[in-house]
Amino acid sequence: MPFPPRPVDSTLHGVVDYTTGATLLTVFPRAAGIAGTRSARQVRSAAAFHAGYSTITDYPLGVVRLLPFQAHLALDALGALALAATPFVTGQYKQGPKAWVPHVAVCLFELSSLAMTDPTGRGDWHGDVDAVRAANTEDPHRKIYDGRPAVVAASA
Amino acid sequence: MRANVWSGRNTVQVENVPDPKVLNDRDAIVRITSTAICGSDLHLYDGYVPTMKRGDILGHEFMGEVVETGRGVSNLSVGDRVVVPFPIACGDCWSCRHELYAACENSNPNAGLAEKAFGHSTAGIFGYSHLTGGYAGGQAEYARVPFADVGPIKIEDDLADEQVLFLSDIFPTGFMGAEFCEITGGEVIAVFGAGPVGLFAIASAVMLGAERVIAIDQYDYRLHMARNKAGATDLIDFSQDPDIVEQLKELTGGRGPDAVIDAVGMEAAHGHGALHAAERVKQAARSESDRGHALRDAILACRPGGIVSVIGVYGGLMDKFPSGAFMNKGLTLKTGQCHVQRYLRPLYERIKNGEIDPSFVITHRLPLGEAPNGYETFKHKQDECVKVVLKP
Repeated sequence: MPFPPRPVDSTLHGVVDYTTGATLLTVFPRAAGIAGTRSARQVRSAAAFHAGYSTITDYPLGVVRLLPFQAHLALDALGALALAATPFVTGQYKQGPKAWVPHVAVCLFELSSLAMTDPTGRGDWHGDVDAVRAANTEDPHRKIYDGRPAVVAASA
Repeated sequence: MRANVWSGRNTVQVENVPDPKVLNDRDAIVRITSTAICGSDLHLYDGYVPTMKRGDILGHEFMGEVVETGRGVSNLSVGDRVVVPFPIACGDCWSCRHELYAACENSNPNAGLAEKAFGHSTAGIFGYSHLTGGYAGGQAEYARVPFADVGPIKIEDDLADEQVLFLSDIFPTGFMGAEFCEITGGEVIAVFGAGPVGLFAIASAVMLGAERVIAIDQYDYRLHMARNKAGATDLIDFSQDPDIVEQLKELTGGRGPDAVIDAVGMEAAHGHGALHAAERVKQAARSESDRGHALRDAILACRPGGIVSVIGVYGGLMDKFPSGAFMNKGLTLKTGQCHVQRYLRPLYERIKNGEIDPSFVITHRLPLGEAPNGYETFKHKQDECVKVVLKP
């Protein structure tokens, strides 16, 4: 399936995953004014889940590369939508904006990140260099290190 | 015919596509014998230039044999061997009459779009997105050459393709960068980037009479080529010490080089870690189009009253332009896409006279079918790659 060009490759997506996860688990609840609340627990749970499947994703920053990158992106989308829906499913949205705005904000951030991510995740593909070596009719090392200068200086 | 087409970010494929046809009396069709991957093709490959579409044929450095001409092309005949300059120029507009061919006012049908994206449009360019006209490029078996009565230069000697191919772009571009430096003899010139364009800027500065030419890069093998083949006298490897400005000052008695050439452009790789990471994120999020480490350092390093010559490609907006240093040093900034047509004849003469053999940069000669691997090898600087030539 063709995809339009998107700027975030799988490596940068991984950086965003871990940075976002760490932020949501640590400073976000206090910054959003929800520290110690049910909302904070929900956001932290989502962040922990996110960081967890990031570690098993098949991308350059995965620790054990079991989960395909596109499945990771699908989980990102489902998780973001589930987090946004949670306050409305539980009814806690009636307690005021702090009970639902952080959930929706995190969801929108996650969906924005997804929209900019290249789903092919080709950030770590470096081509078949052996095929290049086999097909190359030049000798790079010789061209660089052997022979005379290719230019005549003006004063020469 | 077979052609190397853009298929998405970091993806090119060699596919069968329709043959080109003469669409205008001033067109010619060229059977391509040699073509190359340019550093600026990587900006398309990396997804930093908008308006690329699946199936767009890449490539703006190519040469070959004329196989068909429109009725209005009287200077070329079937069978002529030609090098095609990358900017497409009409030859009739104000810019062309002033030899500013890369700013041709007639060859880019999408100039309005380009103006919105870049701030000002370029001429039409082969294989370089729909912002520059959506022209099919030259990484193919054949190409249509518009305004063929203005652009291509006939090669009437038995010089090999590899000796003249780079007249299409990187040799004139590097030469223009050196010419901007107003070299009269004895100057110290620093060149950011020892990629193909930077190497030609170094070689050109040597050819024009610079006393010292300082090559700056992070890849040891490219710095070796800069010294061994292009004539650089001093090397700065910023993978060893990232403070390029300080090193340039140390090499020049604390004053700075007389002129600095930026042959890097919008995807600069150096810079202090935190700044570089911030710029990567901003560029990825499209809040700035250009990572400006090289240009900033060029301005900060150049001596008072010096010249900063910019031939690396920039595409829109850059943060943290050092306007204070630029102002208080009284620098002159010269820049532009290369007006290749202006340089074709004099540089061809220099090649014929033996002043330079441009084939020195070629480290990889591959069949067209290997283009996808060639792009990756070039992008990631694998296998000591400096320049890839493709043979259709």
